[in-house]
Amino acid sequence: MIKIENLNFSYSKQRILFKDISMQLSNGHIYGLLGKNGAGKSTLLKNLAGLVYAQSGKIDVFGFDPAKRQPAMLQQICFIPEEFHLPAIKIDSYVKANAAFYPHFDHQYFADLLKEFDIPVGQKLIDMSYGQKKKVIIAFGLATNAKLVIMDEPTNGLDIPSKAQFRKIMASALTEDKCIIISTHQVRDLDNLIDTVIMLDENKIALKATVEEVTEKLCFKRVKELDETVIYAEPSLAGYNAVMANYHQEDSKLDMELLFNAVLTEKNKLKPIFN
Amino acid sequence: MEFRDNKAIYLQIAEYVCEHILLEKWQADQKIPSVREMAVNLEVNPNTVMRTYELLQNKNIINNKRGIGFFVADNAITHVKSYRKAQFMEDDLPTVFRNIYLLNIDFEELQTRYNTFVKENF
Amino acid sequence: MNNTFNLHRFTLLLKRQWLEFGKIFLITLLVATGVIVAFYGLTLLPLEELGYVSRRLGFREPLFFIFGFLFISIIASSYFAHLGQKSKAIIDLLIPASTFEKFLAGFFFTSILSVLAFILIFIITDWAFIAYIKSYFKTGNVKELADVEMFFNKNDINSFAPLYLAPFTVTSVFLLGSAYFNRFHYIKTAICVMLFSGAWTYIVMNSVEAILSNKTPINRYSHGKDTMEWVLFAIIALFTLVVFSITYVRLKEKEV
Repeated sequence: MIKIENLNFSYSKQRILFKDISMQLSNGHIYGLLGKNGAGKSTLLKNLAGLVYAQSGKIDVFGFDPAKRQPAMLQQICFIPEEFHLPAIKIDSYVKANAAFYPHFDHQYFADLLKEFDIPVGQKLIDMSYGQKKKVIIAFGLATNAKLVIMDEPTNGLDIPSKAQFRKIMASALTEDKCIIISTHQVRDLDNLIDTVIMLDENKIALKATVEEVTEKLCFKRVKELDETVIYAEPSLAGYNAVMANYHQEDSKLDMELLFNAVLTEKNKLKPIFN
Repeated sequence: MEFRDNKAIYLQIAEYVCEHILLEKWQADQKIPSVREMAVNLEVNPNTVMRTYELLQNKNIINNKRGIGFFVADNAITHVKSYRKAQFMEDDLPTVFRNIYLLNIDFEELQTRYNTFVKENF
Repeated sequence: MNNTFNLHRFTLLLKRQWLEFGKIFLITLLVATGVIVAFYGLTLLPLEELGYVSRRLGFREPLFFIFGFLFISIIASSYFAHLGQKSKAIIDLLIPASTFEKFLAGFFFTSILSVLAFILIFIITDWAFIAYIKSYFKTGNVKELADVEMFFNKNDINSFAPLYLAPFTVTSVFLLGSAYFNRFHYIKTAICVMLFSGAWTYIVMNSVEAILSNKTPINRYSHGKDTMEWVLFAIIALFTLVVFSITYVRLKEKEV
C-alpha cells in the first residue's frame, strides 16, 4: 500500500509541479501514469522512490518514508529510469555485484527474462544498444521481486517485437503483492496492460480511476454526428471518435488517448461525472 | 489475438473463450488456461482476464475449482449459446431492426434469404 | 533489520563500488606510478657520481608531498562525481544500502585506500631505485645514501604532528567537492579551497597582528612539541570531521 497525502512539490518558485495532491495505490494493480510533457510524471515517480524531497506532505511506501532511503525500503523498490547508465562489465558480473542486495532476488527468473528478451548472457553491457540495456535493467529489476515496480517510459527504445515481449512479461509479473506504476507517452503500447489510469494536469491529479470505473461512466464509440451527449470527439475517417456519458450501460473499449485528450480539454464536463 | 476497437477487452476475451468452447477446442470438464497464462498470451492485464472469468462463471460457462484452476462447465455449450443469444438480441438485433425498418424490407423475403443462407453454409 | 549499518551489506557495497570505481582508481594509480618512476629516472639517470646522486635525492620530499596531494585529491574528487549525472545517480542512490554505508565506502576508498596505495607505490619505487644505485656504486660509501626507511623516519610524528592529518583533510575536502558539485568537481573544489584558505590566512594574519603587535614573544626558542602544535592538530582534526559530516549530510540530501 502506498499513500500520498497533501504533497506539495516544486523545483523553484516559478516551477510548481504538485499542489496538495493525495492518492492511494494498492497492490495487485498496474497503474498507468499519464500527463503532458513537464506535468511531473517522472517527478512523482521520483518522489515515491525517495529520489527527490517534497516541500511538504507525507508519502508512505509500505510503512516507510521513502525520503529516509532505508535499505529495508530500497530492497522493495524496482525503479527503471528513462535514462540510465550501466557500467562497462558483463551481465553476470553486474548481477553478482548487485543481486545480493536484494534478499528475494530470483536468479532463475532473471535468466528466463533474458531468454524471453533474447539477450545473450555473456555479453558486455557496454556493447549493447540502448534497447538491449533497457531490457537488461527491466529483467534485473523484476528479478529483484521488489513489491513496488516503478517504470518511467519503459517502452522507449524497445523495438516492435520487444514491446510485445514486454507486455507479456509485465502481464506475468503482476502478482497480488506487487504494485506496478508505469509512466508513458506511448499509450497504445500499454493500454491493455494498465488497469488504473492516473492523469496529471495543472499540478493536480486530474483523474484516477480503474478502466472499469471509466467505462462504467463513459462510453467510447464512433459516431456519425455530434450531439449534446458527446463530451469530447475527434474526427476520424467514418465520422467521429467520441467520448460520451454512458447512459445505456454500454461496455465499450477504453480508448486511453481519447480519454487523455478529453481530460485535458473538457475538465469541467468530466469532473461531475467522476465525483 | 487482435482486439477490436468497439468492445470492452474483457468481453472480447469472453468471446474468445466462448469461441473455443463452441468449436469444442476446450471440452466440458477440461481445464482452461489460468488467468496468468491467458493474460500473458493475450498481453493484457491479469485483472482484466479475472473479470472475464468472473463473468463466465456467473453465466455458468466455466467454474472455479479452488486451488486447481478454471474448468469448462458441464453444460457449457448450452450456456454459451444462451449468453451469446442474449448478447445478440441486445447488441446486434436493434441495428438489424433499424435497417429493416428504414429500408422497408419484407419479412417473407428475409425468411427465404435466411433459409438459403442456412442451406448454403451449414 | 539494521537500517544504518550492517557489515555484510557494507562488504557487498565495497565490492560493488570497486567494480566501477576500481577502474578509475587503478588507472590513476598506474599513471601515478609512471610519473614517479619517470621522475626518479629523469633526475637520477644516467648515474655518474655518488655524491651528486646523494644531493639530488632532495627532490623526494617535494615529490612525495606535492604529487601525493595531487593523487589523493584527484581520487577523492572523482568518487561521488557520478552523482552529478542523473542517469548514474538514480541507480546508485537506489542501491539498498544506507547513506551511512555509502558514505563510509567513499571514506574507505579515498581516505584510506588511496593514501595507502600512494605510500606503497612511493616506497616500492624509491626502494627499487636506491637498491639499483647501491648496486651500481659498489665501491663508494653507499651508507650515506638515505634509503626509504630513513626518508620516513626523518619525517616522523615528532617533527610535525598535524602533518599526519593532512591526507584526511585533503580527501575530506575533495570528497565533499565531488558530492557537492554536479560538474567540474576538481577545478571547482580547488578554486574554493584557494578562496577559503586565502580568506582564512588574511583573517589569521590580521588578528595575529592585532593581538600580538607591540608584545614581546617569550619562550621563543623552545624545542620539541609545544601546545600550539597540538592546538593546531585539534583544529585541523575538527575541521576534517566537520567537512566529513557535511559530505554525509550532502549525500543524504542529494536529489536527482
